[in-house]
Amino acid sequence: MFKTTFKIAWASLVRRRTRSVLLILMIAVSLWGLLFMEGIYDGMTEQMINNAIRSDSGHLSLFGEGYRLDPDLSKWVMDIDALDTFLASDTRVKSHVMRLKQDGLVATAHYSRGVAIFGVNLDEEEKHGKMAGYLHRGEFSFGKRDRGAIIGFKLAEKLQVRIGSKIILSAQDSQGEVSAAALKVIGILKTNNMSLDENAVFMSGKRMRKLLTAKDGVSQIAVILYDELNIPELQGDLKKEFPHLDVQRWDELYPALLQSRIMMEGFNLVTNLLIFCVAALGIFGVMLVSVLERLREFGIMLAIGTRFSQVSTIIFTESFCLGFIGFCLGSLIGFVTLYYFKINGLDLSVFSDAFEEFGMDAVTYAIIRPSYFIMALAAVFLATFFSVLFPLRILKKTKPIDAINTI
Amino acid sequence: MFLKLALRNIAAYKKRTIVTLLLTTITTGLLVFSTAWMDGSHQTMIKNAVEIYPGHIQITGKDFREKPSFDNLIFEAAIIQEKLSQIDGINYFASRFESFVLFSADEKAVGGMLTGIEPEQEKYLSRLASSLLKGEYLTQGDTNQVYIGHEFAKRLKIDLGDEVAFVGNGADYSFAADNLTVKGIFQTGLYGFDAGSAFIAKKYFDQIMAAENYATHFIVLPKRTEKAEELAVEISRVIGPDYQSASWNQIMADLVKAMQLDSLFGYITLGVIFIVIFFVIMIYTLLTVFARIHEIGILRAIGTTPQQILAMLLLESSLLALISVIIGGLIGGYFAYYFQLNPIVFSGYEEQFKQYGLAVSAMPTAFAPLVIFRDMLVMFVLSVLSTLYPIIKINQYRPVEAMRHV
Amino acid sequence: MKQKLFCFFILFSLFLFSHSFAGPADDIIKKVEENLNGKTAVMTISMDVKTKRAKRTMKMDSYSIGNKKSFIKILYPGKDKGITFLKIDNTMWQYVPRIEKTIKIPASMMLQSWMGSDFTNDDLVRESSITEDYTSNFLEETESGYKVELLPNEDAAVVWGKIIMEISKEYYLPTTVHYFDEDDILIRELIYTDVQPFGERFYPTTWLMLPKEKDKEGHETIVEISNAVFDGDVSESYFTKRALKRYSD
Repeated sequence: MFKTTFKIAWASLVRRRTRSVLLILMIAVSLWGLLFMEGIYDGMTEQMINNAIRSDSGHLSLFGEGYRLDPDLSKWVMDIDALDTFLASDTRVKSHVMRLKQDGLVATAHYSRGVAIFGVNLDEEEKHGKMAGYLHRGEFSFGKRDRGAIIGFKLAEKLQVRIGSKIILSAQDSQGEVSAAALKVIGILKTNNMSLDENAVFMSGKRMRKLLTAKDGVSQIAVILYDELNIPELQGDLKKEFPHLDVQRWDELYPALLQSRIMMEGFNLVTNLLIFCVAALGIFGVMLVSVLERLREFGIMLAIGTRFSQVSTIIFTESFCLGFIGFCLGSLIGFVTLYYFKINGLDLSVFSDAFEEFGMDAVTYAIIRPSYFIMALAAVFLATFFSVLFPLRILKKTKPIDAINTI
Repeated sequence: MFLKLALRNIAAYKKRTIVTLLLTTITTGLLVFSTAWMDGSHQTMIKNAVEIYPGHIQITGKDFREKPSFDNLIFEAAIIQEKLSQIDGINYFASRFESFVLFSADEKAVGGMLTGIEPEQEKYLSRLASSLLKGEYLTQGDTNQVYIGHEFAKRLKIDLGDEVAFVGNGADYSFAADNLTVKGIFQTGLYGFDAGSAFIAKKYFDQIMAAENYATHFIVLPKRTEKAEELAVEISRVIGPDYQSASWNQIMADLVKAMQLDSLFGYITLGVIFIVIFFVIMIYTLLTVFARIHEIGILRAIGTTPQQILAMLLLESSLLALISVIIGGLIGGYFAYYFQLNPIVFSGYEEQFKQYGLAVSAMPTAFAPLVIFRDMLVMFVLSVLSTLYPIIKINQYRPVEAMRHV
Repeated sequence: MKQKLFCFFILFSLFLFSHSFAGPADDIIKKVEENLNGKTAVMTISMDVKTKRAKRTMKMDSYSIGNKKSFIKILYPGKDKGITFLKIDNTMWQYVPRIEKTIKIPASMMLQSWMGSDFTNDDLVRESSITEDYTSNFLEETESGYKVELLPNEDAAVVWGKIIMEISKEYYLPTTVHYFDEDDILIRELIYTDVQPFGERFYPTTWLMLPKEKDKEGHETIVEISNAVFDGDVSESYFTKRALKRYSD
């Protein structure tokens, strides 16, 4: 039975070939555009978020109580061992790193600037957030005797220093005195996390400890999880386990990023709706005309005893066929396009030099999520369904005899 | 002759006319509105950023923007004042003196901006006065009373009526220090600004900082803000080469770029939507043109040339496009105009926006007739273009084929 | 502390080497440094700061022990009179009578110019010692003096890339000092003149600092020293935070 219905539907689609092809093309193209946009935009936001997570906040960051308001050495996290054990044994945690941070001053013979000095362990940072990937120039190393520094590229521009230049760092140590150290610039980083690119000087954690005469304690512990979904839960657990610590999620530390993610989601939804409304209008037109054209035909069918439900099944099948073929084609081109940009990236910097300024990567790598396709399928389904309803109503209202008599 | 025929056909094929009209009208309206929305939200964001503190036009000493040191001040504030008051396009202006000083409530010192402002004029130039959280805004005659950012007060652990001392360099590099009393606390929503700025009346500031007749900036509010750029040039000419006059798009080049970036994405999105619309219109034209295939076959059979048919069909679609673009433009324009006067407010997000340092939640659209006209033109061309394929295609049928077409 | 010990260690090893390699420059520099920094010093300093647009004079009393502790009190102009500074090791406090407050100067302010002069807070505060931070190379000897090149040790926290110092044979005091950046570009020049006897010691009483960077064209700072007493007794009472207020007026 269904086979016959399908055959009839198919035949009528083939008969109006140009029209069907155009409609399928339209669905495919709109789908392709949508997928492309979603994948690229999501890729862009996720990249920004990812940069912040990798280079600074992790999924969760732990600070001493009151440290963020008053970043003083006395407010550092002290009971590292307990934390270390807890995090190392927690199966949700992928990796964690400890960082020292102190505001200080960097000086050359020409310039001096306030900076944030970070004491890190490069091997751990590489394991944790693949930090070496951010290297812009030079080497990812603090040199043989930990006398090197890695600095943000904007800071390097402002200080007019190159690889090999000497910089003098000074900062307040644990005794409240100013101590200073001379370091050589070994690497220049471009994290696209603006606050780091403009203000950060990374130096060896060990050496920074000596500089600050801070035997123990750290200013920040950044934690990366296997699964983002576990963040709130682990945050709760950590708060319970270490009530005197300040446990922050990345989105609490970088609210602007969360905001752009939310806005992007909203934006995607609106564009989705918009495009499918227009597409539905297209499908509607085609189905309406094809029903009206065949009023006589359907009239005859109904007159010879075909049930209305059978006729409507034919019409639905036609519509779904168009939609489904369009969907498959669109998904296919969309997937291929996204996959290409996922591997090779899309360089949008030709359009604007603003990317660099704005903590965005010039090259965006697309994201492919199954949800895009599921959403699109649902949208195509709904569009094809609703666009047939009105033509069917017209058909129902028409008496078979009138239908046969109209030309 | 063609026009008559085309009009008659438009009237005769009601369904096609209505659907095409509706579709083109809606999409034109949509385009006009979304452009207005996009431009509007960008303009609002820039306007906010500009108006919270930086101002539409800043006048500084020649090298001050590159090297903000006391060697590059405006040393003849009175002369600038005199010259500015003679320029026509200026609505309000006032001087500021910004200086980086150490604030201290206990022994620990915190660096921050202490700025001398002219409170009465400043009201119109920035949102300082309207961002009052508690206490009072400054007045011209205030002495050692300070108007301080909410987060800054929190960092210093002070509140209304409390004392805070500051130490800094006067304009002549002498020491400047005083005890200030908190008169008012403000919150603009820009975290960095609220966490590091304090203001006192410039008259008093000048005495303490030895800054009589000096200023770091003059801030100008043009009568017509959209003419800021021209006005800045005009001011430059009047005040001479020892000073620099920059409009907001130079001062906030970063933000302008960010908005350009956002527009780029906006246009990509619109581009995708247009492609879809293009197809839909093409499909509709195809449907209607093929519905008339018999008629066209007959026309051809009685000797009408394909060119004539092409001209007739094109005229029809152009007329339809014209009508719907005008209606759509009017509708979209109306909405753009309406939502400019009654901005869309993200009421649910208001708290979130504030918390995240975004100082606005109301986004008016931008009603700009020229832009609307541009969009209408784009839509017209697009919709006429999209009818080309079906029209050309139908012309390829031979008359007999066309007449027999089912 | 550890870091300092480490520095000494390096210094010590350098010292051992220097005997066999470098010329007599180390000895010269050591002598110069001894001549410039007494065990203690009390002096009145007058400072003229000239910029493109203005000239300003300040006078102050200075008390110091070695280069670790110093106390400065401003005498002139009247507006700033009574402002006191205390520096112990690397930390600096300031007392301002007008607000009756002692403020610790944060590290970020340290490299700012000191009272608008071409000296930075850091010049005054940092206990950098030439013999500790630099390796000296003897360049040339003339009739009246020596020319010595000072290259910063790898660990020394000094911004300069190179210093060239000319030293008078007569007093073993510097006459001119040129400061270069890492690219050998001259940043500033310091000229010592008017050597006068103070007790058993000779001391340059006029210091002229000329910044050579382009945007500082026309700037100069002249320091004049009078009433100097070296190696006398200086009361430890100057070097406490209480002294800031106590000796303010």
